[in-house]
Amino acid sequence: MAATATTGGVTRSARGTLFGARIREAGWGYAFVAVPMAVFGVFFVYPLGYAIYISLYNWGIFGPPAGSKAGFGNYHQVLSDPIFHTAIKNILEYTVGVVPLEMALGLSLALIVNAKIRARTFFRAAFYFPSIASSVAITTIAIYMLSSDGLFNRVVGGHRPWFSTPSTAIWSIVGLNAWTTAGTVMIFYLAALQSIPTDVYEAAAVDGTSGFRTFWKITFPLLRPAHFFVIVLFGTGALKLFDQAFIVSGGSGGPAYATYTPVLYVYRTGLGGNGQFGLAAAAGTIFFVAIFILTLGTRFTVGRGQSL
Amino acid sequence: MRKVLALLAVLAAVAAVVASAQAGTKTTTISLAGWSAGADEDTLLQQIVNKFEATHPSIKVDYSVINGDYTSAMTARFAAHNPPDVFYVDSSLASTWATQGVLQPLNSYIKSSHYNTSKFFPSLLNTFKVGSTVYGFPKDWSPLAMEINTGMLGEVHAKAPKTWAELRSVAQKMVAQNVVSGGKPICLSADWARMLAFVYQDGGSISNLQSPAVSNAVNFYVGLIKDGLAQTPDNLDSDWCGTALGKQKAAIIFEGNWLLPFMSSTYPKTQYGVFPMIKNKTGGNLAFTVSYSMAKDSKNKPAAWTLLSWLTGQQGQKLWVSKGLALPSRSDVKAIGGRANFLNAAKYAHGWGFKNFSTAYTIMNNDLTAVIKGGKTVAQMLSDAQSAVHGS
Repeated sequence: MAATATTGGVTRSARGTLFGARIREAGWGYAFVAVPMAVFGVFFVYPLGYAIYISLYNWGIFGPPAGSKAGFGNYHQVLSDPIFHTAIKNILEYTVGVVPLEMALGLSLALIVNAKIRARTFFRAAFYFPSIASSVAITTIAIYMLSSDGLFNRVVGGHRPWFSTPSTAIWSIVGLNAWTTAGTVMIFYLAALQSIPTDVYEAAAVDGTSGFRTFWKITFPLLRPAHFFVIVLFGTGALKLFDQAFIVSGGSGGPAYATYTPVLYVYRTGLGGNGQFGLAAAAGTIFFVAIFILTLGTRFTVGRGQSL
Repeated sequence: MRKVLALLAVLAAVAAVVASAQAGTKTTTISLAGWSAGADEDTLLQQIVNKFEATHPSIKVDYSVINGDYTSAMTARFAAHNPPDVFYVDSSLASTWATQGVLQPLNSYIKSSHYNTSKFFPSLLNTFKVGSTVYGFPKDWSPLAMEINTGMLGEVHAKAPKTWAELRSVAQKMVAQNVVSGGKPICLSADWARMLAFVYQDGGSISNLQSPAVSNAVNFYVGLIKDGLAQTPDNLDSDWCGTALGKQKAAIIFEGNWLLPFMSSTYPKTQYGVFPMIKNKTGGNLAFTVSYSMAKDSKNKPAAWTLLSWLTGQQGQKLWVSKGLALPSRSDVKAIGGRANFLNAAKYAHGWGFKNFSTAYTIMNNDLTAVIKGGKTVAQMLSDAQSAVHGS
């Protein structure tokens, strides 16, 4: 008979069995996440680490020249490049413009489809449809619609080529993307609206609060977790703008650098014929750090007390 | 039983013959890639490839079109050491790719196969050389010419302009008589791939972009727009000046041989003529050319050389230019009729491309748009361009 001791009413052998059960339970958990973690490691962690590594060298199409040493020359070159400064300015303008517009449109649509209206299911699908359509197809159609003789000018008047005019190019992309993503934002706000308990509205009705005041004093503040989620998710997405900028400018970032974004800068530097992979990796790393800091800032301001 | 044995013997003999025949003809498969300039070109090239395979049964060619951003796609394939064996190289990128070591030097193949390069137009062949090393052979070329809507020109009772001053005069007449309704007399792209020809016409060059000649040429070019005599394609509801000519939103444009098949297929009813490029102090033009080159990482270099030399040889090029989609880059191949005004520009044509092309061209065109729209001065643009091209 094996020797056993007892502590707190639980025998050591029973404690050992309990510990083993926990190990087995945790082991199953780790086994299930092992595959997605491996994919994450291969397709995110490894490329990130490799990009940081090559950013320290003058890395060309076939690697660095023989005998080259690691250094921060690429970072200095990117940070002192006026085109990179312009790209940062453009993307900040774009993000500050598009995110509030997305939130406003998405919340408006969510309020509409959350109400008891006829054909509510149809409208939910219809408002969401632009989000699932191909962004390339939508942008190509928008180029025609916003051309100098396009449908938009025929309605509002004028002869301005909206994507080819430096002062309106990025704002045209703001309008286009706010429209295409409003449906997705609507989904998040709709879920958040439906999680608000109805008794607060009943109490507000008893107090005789008007519709707008109910929205502004009750609904809007209670949607704070959704606001934080949308700002982080869509703000990060906005900072990574590439496809619309590439399509409307033909990859040049024009007109007059108006649609030059940091991701387009990375693309052109790495794959634009010169094959400056090290320089492109440095630009990408700088931008990654910038987005990370912005996300943290959002977490500690708008997201105070929230968790994703 | 005897019949069965006889049948088996015949079958065995046939199988032996087939097996020995297959063992004797070992085929090599090589890849050929380029961008698409239209369905007509894609079809024509496939027909030419089929002809090559028929005359070279030991080589199979896998021809594919790279859609989208050709430069980026090829850069990625070079980095992956998986490029096509033979592929297009635009003159603007030839020296960059040669310097980066992705193109196979061809001198040893030229020598060993006694390939005669003397028939290539020297200015075109030199575009694909670094020093004395050849990295490709031009498959075709085109300079710019001046294309004019003949109906609109007739309305102002003018002849096709030959100089800058005449161009301005004709455009002013067209404006005065409102000949180009809803458009402008001249379509000018915000593109150094057009404006550089005017720089050469004023005696300037890419080697010093801050010279008075360059500044004068840029001021003339931009001045046509600012004076209401010209406009960029986007302001003429067009994606390029060819569309503007076809839609009759412009009467005068400056484009190459590629305009002709486009107009024929897309705007067949627009009446226009091809005229020599205008001059100022001298003639000046650009030679847009593309080579067939071999990849340094090609695993089938002898077969790739056979294909490359055939495509750019007299026979291959004769087939390529037979439909008028391109002009020959060899003196022993004749272009189809109606191309004289393009061919005569050869003596003034400068190869299109310069140092640091990928980065510099983006900066130069963005700056040119800023100058046209009013966000930058000509001097600022030329300073940026000089730094971008020459790093000074």
